[in-house]
Amino acid sequence: MRKFNQTVLVILILFGILSCVEEGQQIPLGEFEKGVLVINEGAFGVNDGEIYHYDPITGLIKSNIFEGKNRRPFAGLIQDMVEAEGRLYLVANTGKVEVVDPRDFLSKGAVVEGLDISRSIVTTNQKLFIADWGPYDANFNSPNSYVAVVDDLDGGGITKKIPVSSRPEKMFVSGNQIFVATTAGKKLEVISLDSETITSFQDLEGSPGGFFELLGTLILYAYDAEMVYFHQIDKTTGNIQGVLPVGLKWATSNFTLSEDGEMLIITSTGWPDYNDAIARVSIVNRQVLNEAIFTGSGFYGIGYHPGLKEIYVGDNNGFQGNGTVIVLDQNGQQKKSFAVGRGPSGFLVKE
Amino acid sequence: MIFLASFIQCLFLGMGFNNGIPEEGLKNSFILDSIGEILPLDTVELVPVEVFSPSLEKYTYGQLVRRMKDDDLESFQGLSLSDYLQQRTGLFLRQYGAGMLASLTMRGTSAGHNAVFWNGLPINSPSLGQTDFSILPIGGFDELYLHFGSGGALYGTDAIGGAVHLNSKLKFGQGHGLQLGTHAGSFGRWNQQVQYGFSSEKISLRTRVYKNVAQNDFLFRNIAKPGTPIERQEHAAFQQTGISQDLAFQLSSDQLLSSSLWYNQTEREIQPVIGSNTLDEQIDRNLRWVMDYFKFIGKATWNFKTGLLKDHLIFNGSQNSTMQLFLIGDLDWEISPGISSKSGIRYTHIQGKLSTYSAQEDRLELYQSTNLSLSEDLHVSINLRQFIYEGNFAPFTPSLGMDWLILSNKGQELKFNTNGARSFKVPTLNDRFWEPGGNPDLAPESSWNAELGVSHIWRRGSLMLNQRLTHYQMWVNNWIIWLPKGSIWSPENIREVHNKGLEYFLDADYKMENWTFELQGNYNWTSAINQSEITDNDRSAGNQLPYTPVHKFQTLLGIKRGIWNTYVNYQFTGSRFVGTDNQDIIPSFQLWDWGIRMREIETTWIKGSIGIQINNIMNTSYQVMRLRAMPGRNYQINIQIKL
Repeated sequence: MRKFNQTVLVILILFGILSCVEEGQQIPLGEFEKGVLVINEGAFGVNDGEIYHYDPITGLIKSNIFEGKNRRPFAGLIQDMVEAEGRLYLVANTGKVEVVDPRDFLSKGAVVEGLDISRSIVTTNQKLFIADWGPYDANFNSPNSYVAVVDDLDGGGITKKIPVSSRPEKMFVSGNQIFVATTAGKKLEVISLDSETITSFQDLEGSPGGFFELLGTLILYAYDAEMVYFHQIDKTTGNIQGVLPVGLKWATSNFTLSEDGEMLIITSTGWPDYNDAIARVSIVNRQVLNEAIFTGSGFYGIGYHPGLKEIYVGDNNGFQGNGTVIVLDQNGQQKKSFAVGRGPSGFLVKE
Repeated sequence: MIFLASFIQCLFLGMGFNNGIPEEGLKNSFILDSIGEILPLDTVELVPVEVFSPSLEKYTYGQLVRRMKDDDLESFQGLSLSDYLQQRTGLFLRQYGAGMLASLTMRGTSAGHNAVFWNGLPINSPSLGQTDFSILPIGGFDELYLHFGSGGALYGTDAIGGAVHLNSKLKFGQGHGLQLGTHAGSFGRWNQQVQYGFSSEKISLRTRVYKNVAQNDFLFRNIAKPGTPIERQEHAAFQQTGISQDLAFQLSSDQLLSSSLWYNQTEREIQPVIGSNTLDEQIDRNLRWVMDYFKFIGKATWNFKTGLLKDHLIFNGSQNSTMQLFLIGDLDWEISPGISSKSGIRYTHIQGKLSTYSAQEDRLELYQSTNLSLSEDLHVSINLRQFIYEGNFAPFTPSLGMDWLILSNKGQELKFNTNGARSFKVPTLNDRFWEPGGNPDLAPESSWNAELGVSHIWRRGSLMLNQRLTHYQMWVNNWIIWLPKGSIWSPENIREVHNKGLEYFLDADYKMENWTFELQGNYNWTSAINQSEITDNDRSAGNQLPYTPVHKFQTLLGIKRGIWNTYVNYQFTGSRFVGTDNQDIIPSFQLWDWGIRMREIETTWIKGSIGIQINNIMNTSYQVMRLRAMPGRNYQINIQIKL
């Protein structure tokens, strides 16, 4: 009888454990934890920035998911979307950061006071650091740019503004430092998280477009009318160790990493011809593999899905109405297109 | 015939006659009052006689020109023309906030597709191609006419969807007069106006000074923030000051000289979009001057007009100035009882000194208008205009309109109206010369308009009903759109639009003993369908144009008894699309207003009136344009005193 009781007890314990494991496995994924989130920047003066969700497997598109889930419009121009610390941060260049749950897009908080023209965000030390151009002066310059500090990952009030050179754009956290690339100042500046002040700065070649890591190396992409530049940065000191220039005309700040040390860059002749193209560039080999795997006009954002090997190109359709996402294969052949919101400017691929 | 009769009457008035009575007759002990009844006079007084101005309706057979009621304008003293048009007509204005930029759309066209005139001078900005109706205060003019539909042959550039006329109106023979007006309201609104006038039988002078201020700090729901809190609007205050000076001088029995000057300055904090924290500021300074010389020879009237418009716009310190000089001459004469004609020429010199470029331009227009009375019941207007700018010929613009009186008896009158017209809009200076992005190769926008209407007047005892229904079709091509070319925006002649719609107007009066019941109604059904696509991925063809409501309805029910007058006003504005692909919609809204007015309170020395209005009685939260907050329930009190 005792043996029987022990056996029953063991069975019950095992059943309980298995039940727990099964329940753990049954937790469904959040509605937006897989697929492609499309950033639609919105039109100036209308402030109709929004996020769309695209399921590349089913082709299903969910529109205006911020407004749909929170029953209020985003009401801003979305400049950046960053997932960190179990949250999704939507940065509006109209002076606002919305914090949502990445699983269901329900609002968790916001930063709504004290920002001017916010551009991007990083998190570290349980704090938010928001790059902001600061207010325009009479000549539409930005002499009072800063990085705003918020002491709560869910948003709230700004506790400090760290002055930086004009127009901070992208940032990267490395150890106890934040690297800040400024587009008007054309500088790489290092913020010490201990003192929350700028500790060093260096001049950049070209206008910075963004940071990324490749084979363990931190790289800052920059561009001008004739060349693109890959600044190799020492992650410990923030020093620029070298600059790899590659000849590519009319590059823009819009790029995405693809595979094998390659990146895709939107090029645009701009006004008056306004011919856009997608260029494929090998960073490792420092050469342009193809100047135009796809051409058109109105290209406003680019993304890459490594699993499906699909390229997503945002077409702004002249900002007269909503935009279009063009789906290309790896070779630049159009597979399909679908309608999204106003000014599709970026993609967050969640595999 | 009615128009011809009114023209002849105007000629007589201009020559010092009043309703057909020679001047010396005015010294007799009887005069005609405004409704033609003969009244005895205890004492000899000067008789008000309106200073002659050309009839705006004369060559518009087949078209609709509405003069808005003076009573309505009076209750909007100190408020903007945009407020009046939005609340009291079927027209839709794109208002970018309370007291902020307001542009008019007529018959589904865009902001620059209507011409705006002040005393016969076109006041649309040559650089922007449009007028901001929010900075035109009602107190700055006396008469408001709305011309619905294509008016290019009559008015020149811009009049694709219609035209708005603001006129000063002086009178002779009124002696001295001082008027004080004050208007106070919610959100720090305080308007003050002082007017002094003097007129004899030969000369009439009037000076007006006004100042309008508003904090505009109304409450609104901030839907851009978590929890959508109710907040007070910030950075939306404005201040407006102005002065106008009008003069008319009867040089002789057949010559008249008149002149008007209007300076208006508006300083505004630009109300930010909900969720935005912009701190833009704008100052508009507008100087307008016009002088007319009329010479009456038999059945002919010569009119020589000159004028100057100076517009100065400062946006966040960025300066933009334009100047327009006009020289106009025309001859209006009655060739025979059934034929009248007007032939004219207009020269315009434009100078623009904008923040990114400077430009100047000379324009020449030749125009001819003819009225033919084919019978007592059938009248035709033929208008022709050729516009030349810097050696470029704008599209030749003809129009042909007809009024046909089908039925006329004591009880009712039924009339058919039809009109076909071409119109155009010359590319603005910014369209062509803005640096960077201006496109000097742009062609003028061009339109064809056809309309058919029926108007009906019905009288039965004390009931009078006047209504009109018009159906129009309009095709606009070479529509100019600014498109992004990378980081630079540049305009192109790219859009084609087919507009069609219905306009319905109703005016009804019913008198019952001491009571008068009044009903006004306006309904506009507007279909403005884009026919063209900009790119392969564009999805705008076949869609309604953005911010163009399909339906707008407005009605006012008024009751008068003695000196008391009360009304309820209702407007419904249908939903509007935000973009050309019709994906995002701004909801429709309904607003109710109520007002009461005590008129003609009279003592020995002063006359006056006092009115109270409550706007948006239901405290409806609404937006005319996306994310532009509008005020909820608000109160106004309006006092007019005449000494």
